[in-house]
Amino acid sequence: MKLPLPLKKIQATTRRQFFGQTGLGLGSIALSSLLNQESPDEPTGFRIPAKAKSVIYLHMAGSPSQLELFEHKPALDRLHDTQCPQEYLEGKRFAFIRGVPKMLGSQFKFQRTGQSGQWVSDRLPHLSKVIDDLCVIRSVHTEQFNHSPAQLLMQTGNPLLGYPSIGSWATYGLGSENKDLPGFMVLSSGGKTPSAGKSLWGSGFLPTIYQGVQCRTDGGDPILFLSDPKGLNRGERRKTLDAIADLNRYQHEHIGDPETITRIAQYELAFKMQISVPEVMDIGRESQSMLDLYGAKPGHVSAAESAADPRTLYKGDDPTFANNCLLARRLVESGVRFVQLYDWGWDHHGSSPGESIDETLPIKCRQIDRAVAGLITDLKQRGLLDETLVVWGGEFGRTPMMQNNVRKNLVKGFIGRDHHPHAFTMWMAGGGIKPGVYGQTDDIGYYITENAVSIRDLQSTILHQIGIDPKRFNFPYQGLKQRLIGPSDEGKVIRDILA
Amino acid sequence: MTICLAWLPTCTVFSDVDFNREIRPILSKHCFACHGFDPSTREAELRLDNFEGATRDLGGSFALVPHQPKASEIVTRIYSDDADVLMPPPESGQPLTDAEKNLLRQWITEGGAYSAHWSFVAPTQKPLPAVKHSQWPKRPIDYFILKQMEAEDFAPASPADPAQLLRRVALDLTGLPPTPESAARFLANPSSENYEREVDLLLATPAYGEHWARMWLDLARYADTKGYEKDRHRDIWRYRDWVIDALNQDMSFEQFTREQLAGDLLPERTDDQILATAFHRNTMTNEEGGTDDEEFRVAAVKDRVDTTMQVWMGLTMGCAKCHSHKYDPISISDYYSFLSYFNQTQDRDTESPFHPTPTSEQAKAIAAQQDIVTLASKELNGRPADFDSKLSQWKQQFTKTPLWQNLKLVESTSEAEVVLKQQDDHIILATGNRPERDTWTLTFELPALPDGKKHRSLRIEHFPKSIAGGDWADKNVAIRDLTVEQIQDTGTPKKIILSNPRATFSQRNWEVAKLINGDNSAGWALSPKFKNPQNCILDFSEPIAAGIIRITLEQQYGEGLLLARSRFSASPYPAEWLIAELKPNFEEIFWSLSDPQHSAKKKKYQTELAKLAALKKAVTRTPVMAELPAAQQRKTKINNRGNFLDLGDEVTPNVLEIFGNFPDNTAPNRLGVAKWLMQPENPLTSRVMVNRIWSRIFGVGIVETEEDFGSQGLPPSHPDLLDWLAVDFREQGWSIKTLLKTIVTSSTYQQSAVATPDHLSRDPRNRLLARGPRFRLSAETVRDQALAISGLLTKQVGGKSVMPPQPSGVWKTTYSGDDWKNATGPDRYRRGLYTYLKRTSPYPAMTTFDAGSGEVCQVRRIRTNTPLQALVTLNDTAFLEAAGGLAQRMQQSSQDLEKQIVNGFTMALVRKPTPRETKRLLDLYASLAIDEEASKSLLQASALSEGDPRLVAIANVLLNLDETLMK
Repeated sequence: MKLPLPLKKIQATTRRQFFGQTGLGLGSIALSSLLNQESPDEPTGFRIPAKAKSVIYLHMAGSPSQLELFEHKPALDRLHDTQCPQEYLEGKRFAFIRGVPKMLGSQFKFQRTGQSGQWVSDRLPHLSKVIDDLCVIRSVHTEQFNHSPAQLLMQTGNPLLGYPSIGSWATYGLGSENKDLPGFMVLSSGGKTPSAGKSLWGSGFLPTIYQGVQCRTDGGDPILFLSDPKGLNRGERRKTLDAIADLNRYQHEHIGDPETITRIAQYELAFKMQISVPEVMDIGRESQSMLDLYGAKPGHVSAAESAADPRTLYKGDDPTFANNCLLARRLVESGVRFVQLYDWGWDHHGSSPGESIDETLPIKCRQIDRAVAGLITDLKQRGLLDETLVVWGGEFGRTPMMQNNVRKNLVKGFIGRDHHPHAFTMWMAGGGIKPGVYGQTDDIGYYITENAVSIRDLQSTILHQIGIDPKRFNFPYQGLKQRLIGPSDEGKVIRDILA
Repeated sequence: MTICLAWLPTCTVFSDVDFNREIRPILSKHCFACHGFDPSTREAELRLDNFEGATRDLGGSFALVPHQPKASEIVTRIYSDDADVLMPPPESGQPLTDAEKNLLRQWITEGGAYSAHWSFVAPTQKPLPAVKHSQWPKRPIDYFILKQMEAEDFAPASPADPAQLLRRVALDLTGLPPTPESAARFLANPSSENYEREVDLLLATPAYGEHWARMWLDLARYADTKGYEKDRHRDIWRYRDWVIDALNQDMSFEQFTREQLAGDLLPERTDDQILATAFHRNTMTNEEGGTDDEEFRVAAVKDRVDTTMQVWMGLTMGCAKCHSHKYDPISISDYYSFLSYFNQTQDRDTESPFHPTPTSEQAKAIAAQQDIVTLASKELNGRPADFDSKLSQWKQQFTKTPLWQNLKLVESTSEAEVVLKQQDDHIILATGNRPERDTWTLTFELPALPDGKKHRSLRIEHFPKSIAGGDWADKNVAIRDLTVEQIQDTGTPKKIILSNPRATFSQRNWEVAKLINGDNSAGWALSPKFKNPQNCILDFSEPIAAGIIRITLEQQYGEGLLLARSRFSASPYPAEWLIAELKPNFEEIFWSLSDPQHSAKKKKYQTELAKLAALKKAVTRTPVMAELPAAQQRKTKINNRGNFLDLGDEVTPNVLEIFGNFPDNTAPNRLGVAKWLMQPENPLTSRVMVNRIWSRIFGVGIVETEEDFGSQGLPPSHPDLLDWLAVDFREQGWSIKTLLKTIVTSSTYQQSAVATPDHLSRDPRNRLLARGPRFRLSAETVRDQALAISGLLTKQVGGKSVMPPQPSGVWKTTYSGDDWKNATGPDRYRRGLYTYLKRTSPYPAMTTFDAGSGEVCQVRRIRTNTPLQALVTLNDTAFLEAAGGLAQRMQQSSQDLEKQIVNGFTMALVRKPTPRETKRLLDLYASLAIDEEASKSLLQASALSEGDPRLVAIANVLLNLDETLMK
């Protein structure tokens, strides 16, 4: 499929004027790389040296509270149970808070961890042990304060449905390292897909070959339609594929369409995937100590997967996320470019004990703490952390005030926080990112006071680390040069956190 | 020059430069971003998008001086060695090639003339070009195609094999393979006349509308859910059926446009015309908690604007939402001026307004039932001549003995010490502290009646505070048990049996019958209608003479649900006269008594009325467009940077005048927009539509960028052909069927698709059409064809979307209680068009074959060829069952294996297999080793109870051939 050439016109800040004589210095863009535009099938011209080969993105759907996990705010604790000052409410739009809510101090204790001595929640004991490998960014902000648009903005660069996800962009730009596996794979846990649904790993206007392939871990085919029908064993399937290939070759001899040759190759790849996918998805091949490192349990089928309403079930000690973390490592080890994990159940409004900061958050922490720490440790031990970028976070943060639309006062099991787009915490590790702490918020964690990081900045940084210039990377569609980071050049690579 | 023109003759220095074809793309790509239409990003106050701007005096220098390249700063700059002077600036990363530089210089030497972008000038038909191979063209199309072929030294391909041609045209026109009858008919005598006859027949089948509706539904972003987080069900399938019907009737594209954009504004609009406006109600509705409705209302309106411009004019308005378009002359205020026409509908991130949209069968049934009801009503209301006098005579008895005698309270006790006071109107008020629960014993006097009549029924009335006063607030009433005793002269109570309970209203699960059923776990209660007067009536099993009765009311529910204001009465009249209603209707009672037919007539009327109501209730209500009343119309303001909270200047409604003025004598609303789109001055609408149809037939549009006819889009491969078709389409009354027939009866279309090495090296993408089209079938056609070949296809047109099998667990979206229930009956095998489309979880087999999710307007699907597709057609239940169906047809077609295989091949591909192909399939059959157990499993997987599993495997192969998946 030939496509119009992606254009690279970017308005640099050092723009000289056509007729001015006060020209500024040249940018240092390697023009040679832009000239290589002869093969429109392979987008080029945006490649830069890569720090990471692959990405594991851990998205906590619903958005965990930064104020219980990474943001230690003694001043907020002192204001606990007092009325929220008007300055934080006037002119603000909240999803659910109405009237004047009370301030809500952290529900859990913090402790100093690692050599950096940064404060981390006591709900994350395992993660605390690998904290010196993480770059904790406390100053992320977003434009969206409802789940679906905020998740879409984070993953596709646009709050509306229908745009390609970051994993699709990455595989469109870089392809897969393993020819027997899709380049972009998605695993979900918590019993539900996230609010914005499969659009989060859709390919939008990019060819569908770049859409995320959802691997299922509920006991069925790990990839849809992977299994041959019962009664047709491998050998017989092979015979039918050979016949298809031969008949297609006859057809090609007659009609001469190269597409037929591609189809023969795709059927071969499908046959290989029928072996390679179940193999890579089989965590039973790992040692017990490796399983323990993650807290993984081979063969576990979450009860939530078949429950009519999984919201009642995600509270238990479900190892699905741990299994998925281990799978993520196996996938990147096999050359998968982008592995996206979604874990459902982090939306702790306090509307019920099953959706509360005080009762549910610790359970969710238990489900991910060992697994995430295990993933970092494992990648490090294998020397994969340097070439794998791990990203963790939700779609926004949570308010320093308690949500007050269900209960006006603090009641056990009903303590929650509303959506907060102005400041929240994410972290990255590996892939050429320098560990440490980046960005600051004010005393109660309401606003960013230092080194604000936008969603565009995060996306720019992720693309940059895998060897893509985020500004030059585009796809012409509907007359626009569509980019992950949107039409404006506001997004910047966060240079301060690069190793 | 862009790659798609690589096959055009490279321009020589001797011919005049064509501004639109050669210069505008260079300027657009390299210059307009900083020197274009958008003043906010314009550098050095220089614009190069028009002649005036380019030749302006810039303080002694000029970017362009006609005929004087040396005096033109453009030429100096593009050839400069000085990085500070060079244009485009090196950091733009887009240097001009030498060829481009030379073209610019030559253009200026020739005068530097501008002409409007090609697509912004209305099309005109040029004379058919002269061609050498004059025998070949059958239709005007062919002259244009052949002209370009000959210029590139190509000759047309030979005609396609009749079987392949018939398969191609059937798939193109109906999305289904030809029927065996059609194949037999045509292959017996594949003449041009017979071909044309088959084309006419194909265009007349309902399958035609189903197939072409799919293209339109992609544009309309049709889906069965509302999108966003909740993504709940939406009933909008009637719109899908409207599109199918409109196409099948060959509604003119002009009417098709008018009704979808503004059917609600037409005079004497029909239900169907209003239904058509659901086109723009396919926008998403966000039902996530805590969202700002205005934000998503505005998002939907912008989507309508963008979609309208995309669909009819092939222009992208998207960027002008935030800033003026950099390449095309559309400013941010133009955008919001145009948006204001769409900003006046009632919907506001809600599904309403709705309109009842009956199917034609439903409309017929409703009309017929309405007639029955009218007749029944006439029969019911015909009164006997002396009815009124007889009635008043009869009514006199009630002056002597009222229908109901209010009872006097003699004594009362309350366990909770409530004080009960009876007023003059006999209403008993409960006063004092209101207890949680209480049991009352009320003693009444039954008055003596004239003529020795006896009391036969008891009525209990409840009144709200607004009618009867009193201290207690209105609350529900819950009486769990009621006992009535007659106090005999001896003083001993005698329980009275009560029967035939009836009430004006009963709360759900608290029906009045439970008052006397002996079980006091429930009784009679009134929520939510306790703020109205209510009553209940019970009959005494035996008439009672005057005396004393004692009524015990057990009101033990809690929460103070007691009879705060009540009245008790008794009646001596027959039970059938005593209907629980607020005001006894004497006329009805008398009528029933005097006319033995009356009750039956009334019952019939009510039954028929209920049937009518049920028919109406079954009608789907579809979200439609409805204009706000004039007084409530919105003011439209520019959204700065596209932000709905950051409002700028107010704009006045207007269309994009460079494409023609708003039509005269037309109200400034969507109907006017529809007229504006279709008027002959509009340079784009017709071109965009014919190009779209062309693209579906040939795989690529004459303008490849179907979605962009602006200056950033690719130029047409055959500009004169595009214009010829565009004018012809309009002149033929905007008939899509005529257009299709024009295309498929051309020699161009009927060529063989065989690609020679010369084709592949000089025209790999078949842009010259020196061979017939060959590309992969769409997602829906892949499915439909398999079902048709297997004989499984259900041929029902229209109806609710269906759920064919999909793997369990695919639908697992947050909050949606909706379930995917694999259809088991005929709905299992409907065409792909009818498969339920949930935006956040589309049907996997479809998306794998590049179908969209209906989230946004999809102008074209980019075709891919992936291993995941192979897995679908090899292993998906639908395709396995199709293999089963085909195997069965093969087996039934002959006793002989070879014939079975040849027949199966022909069923799949219309043509007969070659001996080599037959042999290969026979070899496969012979090599398959399927034991008894495996055989059972394979038959089961392909939904067969018996049969030959090896034929199932053969059928599976046939359905997976490249030739089957391609057209």
